[in-house]
Amino acid sequence: MGIRNLLFEHRDVENIQDIAVYEKHGGYRGLKKAVKMERSAVIEEIKTSGLRGRGGAGFPTGIKWSGIPQNDDKPHYIICNADEGEPGTYKDRELMLKLPHLLVEGMIIAGYALRGTAGYIYIRGEYVEPAWQVRKAIDQAYRAGYLGKNILGVKGFNFDLYIHMGAGSYECGEESALMSSLMGERGQPRLKFPHAPYPTVEGVWKSPTLINNVETFCAAAKILDMGGAEYARLGTERSKGTKIFSVSGHVARPANYEVEMGTPLMELIEAAGGVVGGALKAVIPGGSSVQIVRAEDCPRVNLDYESCQQNGTLLGSGGFMVFNDRTDIVLLMKRTAEFYMHESCGKCTPCREGTRWIYKILDRITSGGGQPGDVELLLDICSQIDGRSYCGLGDAAAWPIVGAIKAFREEFDYWIAHKRSPVGPGHVPPTPEVVNPLLTLVPA
Amino acid sequence: MATTENGPGALEPRPAPPKEQRFSLNAIQELEEIASHYPERKAACLPALWIAQREYGGYLTPAAIQEVADRLGMSYAEVEGVATFYTMYNLRPRGRHHLEVCTCLTCAVMGAYDVVHELERALGIEVGGTTRDGEFTLSEVECLDYCGAATVVQVGDRYFTHVTADNVLNLIEELRQSEEYTPVKLADAIVKLHLPGSSQTGGGSRTGEQIRNNELY
Repeated sequence: MGIRNLLFEHRDVENIQDIAVYEKHGGYRGLKKAVKMERSAVIEEIKTSGLRGRGGAGFPTGIKWSGIPQNDDKPHYIICNADEGEPGTYKDRELMLKLPHLLVEGMIIAGYALRGTAGYIYIRGEYVEPAWQVRKAIDQAYRAGYLGKNILGVKGFNFDLYIHMGAGSYECGEESALMSSLMGERGQPRLKFPHAPYPTVEGVWKSPTLINNVETFCAAAKILDMGGAEYARLGTERSKGTKIFSVSGHVARPANYEVEMGTPLMELIEAAGGVVGGALKAVIPGGSSVQIVRAEDCPRVNLDYESCQQNGTLLGSGGFMVFNDRTDIVLLMKRTAEFYMHESCGKCTPCREGTRWIYKILDRITSGGGQPGDVELLLDICSQIDGRSYCGLGDAAAWPIVGAIKAFREEFDYWIAHKRSPVGPGHVPPTPEVVNPLLTLVPA
Repeated sequence: MATTENGPGALEPRPAPPKEQRFSLNAIQELEEIASHYPERKAACLPALWIAQREYGGYLTPAAIQEVADRLGMSYAEVEGVATFYTMYNLRPRGRHHLEVCTCLTCAVMGAYDVVHELERALGIEVGGTTRDGEFTLSEVECLDYCGAATVVQVGDRYFTHVTADNVLNLIEELRQSEEYTPVKLADAIVKLHLPGSSQTGGGSRTGEQIRNNELY
């Protein structure tokens, strides 16, 4: 347990973004092994590894891959979700910036195993700099014969890889919204299983489509290189391998840390240099969509899917935010609510209206107008959004609020009773006096 | 179109946007190349809007939206729907440098609001405003996802990291000195990222060594 640099093994090698350097450090070995195997054996290898989707939901990758039909004549599309938008997360940014070939290799392996026609890397519009590294890697891979026609001499293995840049929308990180956006539409979600087929059966352009996160494809490349069984030796019973956590907030050395699954939460804080500016108050372990954990509960939490769930939170995307005792949880939740209000795509009513109501109530409380019963009202609204929206954004807007009320109920009550922060002067985030948050809602 | 023939009291149809063709030959070639990446022409809508944002000087006018619709065989409403959904498409002119300060969770607790207030004071504008000389537009944005380097400010295709209320004025000075028109530069970079082989002809990529040393601009 602890820090285990697997994907990050060659992160700090000079010019690892260059294909020659990457190959010298074992690059494209996984792909070369894969093309000598049966396609089904490659999928089996991923299943053996126990890899689960690293984008947030944790769906078993091998099962997703085997959902792509093997014997049809439709084109198959391989999509990489690089629309990293979850507050607190910046692991995909570093993977693309420093190890773009690892991502490209992982996607080509998926292209081979699933008879892919073309691959698209959907990168958020703001990530120009990481995208340049991916562009360079794709161009080099074409010249080296890893992309294009009859790849590595395998007859009929043709695979093209394209970059598709987003244009500023958190919602496009949701897989059905991402597909809409890739097809040139507003980034709004579509009906899902059981009301519609899985994307692996009918995704973009009504063809079988695989969508995985950047980190998942990178892990797939490593798994083919080291072997699924070897990868599965890392981690816990049901959470295999390693996970990259983006540590931010009140720590001495905020950065991306790759740890073995099951590492105690406190160990990661230690690795990041410990808490600064005060004592530890709370941790959000998996991005803004997951429930906050109180300091006294932190020692019980291990960084794997099961332990997080048992402790009332989620592993999520690995956006690990640490807060010291100067942090006002109610203001923090108000800022969270503002984020979801801004990012709700507006398609379904519970999310579009609910996120606004949550924000307005929290704004009322933190402006000194809180009323008795406001907390119950918040819980009621959250229960009306959770599970009732088109996609996960609604759930993700409700969970952190419910989690914060459960963990820090006394702070909400204090705000309502005393009309000021329980933390006292100098709290963070500050109470916005000058900035009018509604200004950010003026359409561009 | 037939607005005047409808007579008084008739519901006037929305005036059609002016017909304008501003895509250069180069831009048309880029668009055709990008459109060939997808099985459907419509999928090139987002990249086409990026091209339009560049060709029309950093923001999308109704004419720009109309031109994209014409070139992709889509309706005006459809393209307008897309252009208004995404926050990075500008529907109004921006300053020569668009300062986008991340004030989301981590940045908010690490002092992003102090940066915003300092910028408002130094530039004499409020969030959402543009300075009179057209140099700067100030915005608050949602998570830019570089939380480990809070506070993050995006200007065009660049991220400025570890920005504080104390050092933000240096950033303003640096930008004032530069000759670039960053909204157009951003749109151009994003268009080029779609094009195979564009990494050979330049682009904004830094050397591996610079990245390794975490030299963030």
